[in-house]
Amino acid sequence: MRGHGFLLANYVPGTSLVHRMPLWLKFLLVLACGMASFLIVDWRLAAAALAVLCGLFLLSGAGPTRLFRAVRPLLPILLVIGAFQWWQLGGPVAARIVLNILLCVVAASLLTATTPLHRLLDGVVSLARPFRRFGADPERFALTIAIMLRSIPFIAGAFSDVRDSARARGLERNPRALVLPVFITTVAYARHTGEALAARGLGEPED
Amino acid sequence: MSTISLRNAGVSVAVDGRPDPKVLLQDISLELTEERVGVIGANGSGKSTLLRLLNGLVVPSEGAVTVNGADTVRNVRAVRQQVGFVFTDPLSQLVMPTGREDVELSLRRSVRSGKERREQATAALDRFGLLPLADQSIYELSGGERQLLALASVLAVEPGVLVLDEPSTLLDLRNRELLRRTLAGLSQQIVMSTHDLELALDMDRVLVVESGRIAYDGGAAAAVEHYRSLSARSLSGGDFR
Amino acid sequence: MTQTHAAGTLKPAKRRRWNATDLGLIAVFAALVAASALVAAIPVGGLGVPITLQTLAVMLTGLALGPGRAFAAVGLYTLLGLAGLPIFSGGRSGLGILAGPSAGYIIAFPLAAAAVGWLAAVVIRRTVKFRAVLLFVSAMATSIVLVHGLGIAGMMVNAKLDFSKAFLADLPFYPGDIIKNVLAVTVAIALHKAFPDLLVRRVRQLPQKAAAPRAATPGTTTPEASAQQ
Repeated sequence: MRGHGFLLANYVPGTSLVHRMPLWLKFLLVLACGMASFLIVDWRLAAAALAVLCGLFLLSGAGPTRLFRAVRPLLPILLVIGAFQWWQLGGPVAARIVLNILLCVVAASLLTATTPLHRLLDGVVSLARPFRRFGADPERFALTIAIMLRSIPFIAGAFSDVRDSARARGLERNPRALVLPVFITTVAYARHTGEALAARGLGEPED
Repeated sequence: MSTISLRNAGVSVAVDGRPDPKVLLQDISLELTEERVGVIGANGSGKSTLLRLLNGLVVPSEGAVTVNGADTVRNVRAVRQQVGFVFTDPLSQLVMPTGREDVELSLRRSVRSGKERREQATAALDRFGLLPLADQSIYELSGGERQLLALASVLAVEPGVLVLDEPSTLLDLRNRELLRRTLAGLSQQIVMSTHDLELALDMDRVLVVESGRIAYDGGAAAAVEHYRSLSARSLSGGDFR
Repeated sequence: MTQTHAAGTLKPAKRRRWNATDLGLIAVFAALVAASALVAAIPVGGLGVPITLQTLAVMLTGLALGPGRAFAAVGLYTLLGLAGLPIFSGGRSGLGILAGPSAGYIIAFPLAAAAVGWLAAVVIRRTVKFRAVLLFVSAMATSIVLVHGLGIAGMMVNAKLDFSKAFLADLPFYPGDIIKNVLAVTVAIALHKAFPDLLVRRVRQLPQKAAAPRAATPGTTTPEASAQQ
C-alpha cells in the first residue's frame, strides 16, 4: 500500500541480516524480549540483552539517531519511574525495571525500522487466515485496513477545516462546535464509502 | 444496448416520530433503452434515489427494477456487474490510497491472476491518460483528475451501463468540458443526473423528476424547457422549499 | 408485517453479517480514532501520559456504532498501532508500547468501546427520558472500570508501582475524562439525531400494502428492525 508518506517515517531501507530475517522471526524476537522483561531478575543481564539489541539495531544501518528517536518519547517517564523506584526499591531493581522496558521498546522499533509498512500490514492480514473457518474473511479485512489508511488524511483535514470555520464564526472556544462537525462529516463520509463499495460489488459478505 | 426497466417502482422510508413513511419515489414505470439518458430536477426531487434504484443501492419498496432481466433485489450481484456507478464526490468513491491500487481492486472480482490484473489496470489508466498519476496519493490529485480516475476504475470492469450521479457538480469549467468529451467517447449506455443543463442537452432522452414522480419524459430540448418553466413557476409562487 | 416483527425481536436467529456500509463505518471510525490521537496532545499527569481527543473518539465510537462494530473499529486501530503504524498518541507505535506505562490504557480502548456501545444500545432501545444522563453514566462507568482500571493495572505491571501509587498517577486524568465524556455524549446524541438509523436499524422499506406481491421476496422484508449487533 503506497501513497502514505505521513505513515512511512519508521522504515529504513537496507539489506542487513535483520532486514532479511522473515517477519515471523522478528516478531518472535519482540515477543521474547517482552517475556524476558518478566523473567530477567538481574539488572546486569537486562543491560547485556539491551546492548545486544542496540548492536543489532546499529548493524541494520538504521543509525544511532533513529535509535535515540525510538526511545526519546519514553525517556522522561523512565527517569521518573527510575528515580522513584530507586528511592522505593533500591538501585539494582530500579535499573532492572527501566532496562527491561527499554529492551522491549528497542526490540519493537527494530522490527518496524527493518520491515516496510506494506509487509507489516500483510502480516496483520495473514493473522486473520487461520480464523477463516470461523467466518473471518482476510480479503474484507485487508479492504477495511486500506479504507482506514486512506481515511486518516481526510479526517485530519476535517479537523483543521472545522477549526478554521469555528474561528471564522468566533466559536473557537466552544468545544462542541470544534468537534461535532468533524464527527458528522465522519459518519457521512463513512456512509458514502460504504455505498461506493456496495456500488462496485465490493465489501458485501459472500453468501 | 441494455434494457433497464422499472415497473411501478416506488421507494418510501420510515421516519422517526411519524406514522406514515416518507415517499421518495412513487409509481415509476420506465423502459430505458436509449444510449444517453439524462435525469434533471430540483435538489431533493428524487433524482439520486432514482439512479440508486438502477444498481440496487436502493431497493424498491413497491414494484420491481430489472437490468437486462436481472432483478436488483434478487440478483444484485449480477446487476452490479452490469451497472457501474459514479458518485458526485470521487473522494468517497476511491477506496484505495492510489489510483493503480483502486483500479486493481475493481478488477479483483473478475480477474483472478495478479499479473493480469496489473496489466489490465495499467491499460485502464492509460486509456484516460492517467498513467503518470497512477502511483500518486489520491489526495494529491486535482478534482478533475480524481473524477477521471473514479470513472477509469468503474470502467475497468467493463460494465454495460454507466450511471453517474451529478458527476460534474464539483468540477470547474475546464474539467467539466473534459468530462463531457470523455463521456461522449464511451460505448456504454449512460444514465446521468445533472444540474448542468448544457450537459443534459447532449442526451437522447431526458427525464424531469419532480416530487418523486416523472414530470416529463422526452427529448432533451423540450425536457430542459419544461424544467425551466417548472422552476420559474415554483419561484413566482413564493414556494422556496 | 407480522412476519417481520416475529423475526425482528430481540434475538435474530442468525447474526447478520456486516455489509459494505458497516465496513465503511468500522474503517472510518478507526481512522477517526487515529486522527484524533494525532491532532494535538498535551502531556498530563505524574507519568506524562499524553491527554488527547483520543479517549473522546473511543467513547464516541462506542456510543455511535454499538458494541460489535465499535470493538472492530477500535480493535483495528489498536492492532495497526501495535503492528507499527505511528497512530498512537504522539505518533508512537509498535509492540514496544505494551512494555511502557500506558500499555493498560491502549489495551482498554477496544474493550471500553465495546462496553460503552453495549450500554448505549440498551439505553437507546429501552429509554426515551434522561437519555443524556444515562449515556453519561454509561460512559463514566466504562471509563472508571475499564480505562482507569486497566490503566492502573498497566502501570503496576510495567512500572512495578504498587496500587496506591499507580492510583495516584492515574488520578490527574479524571477531570479531562469527565469533560470528554460530557462532550462525547452531547456529540453522540446529535449524531443519532442526524443519522437515526446509525445504531438502531429501522425497517428501511415499508411495503405499503400488506398484500403486495413483492412483500414475500427476501430483500424487502429483511428483518432489520432489530438493533445492530
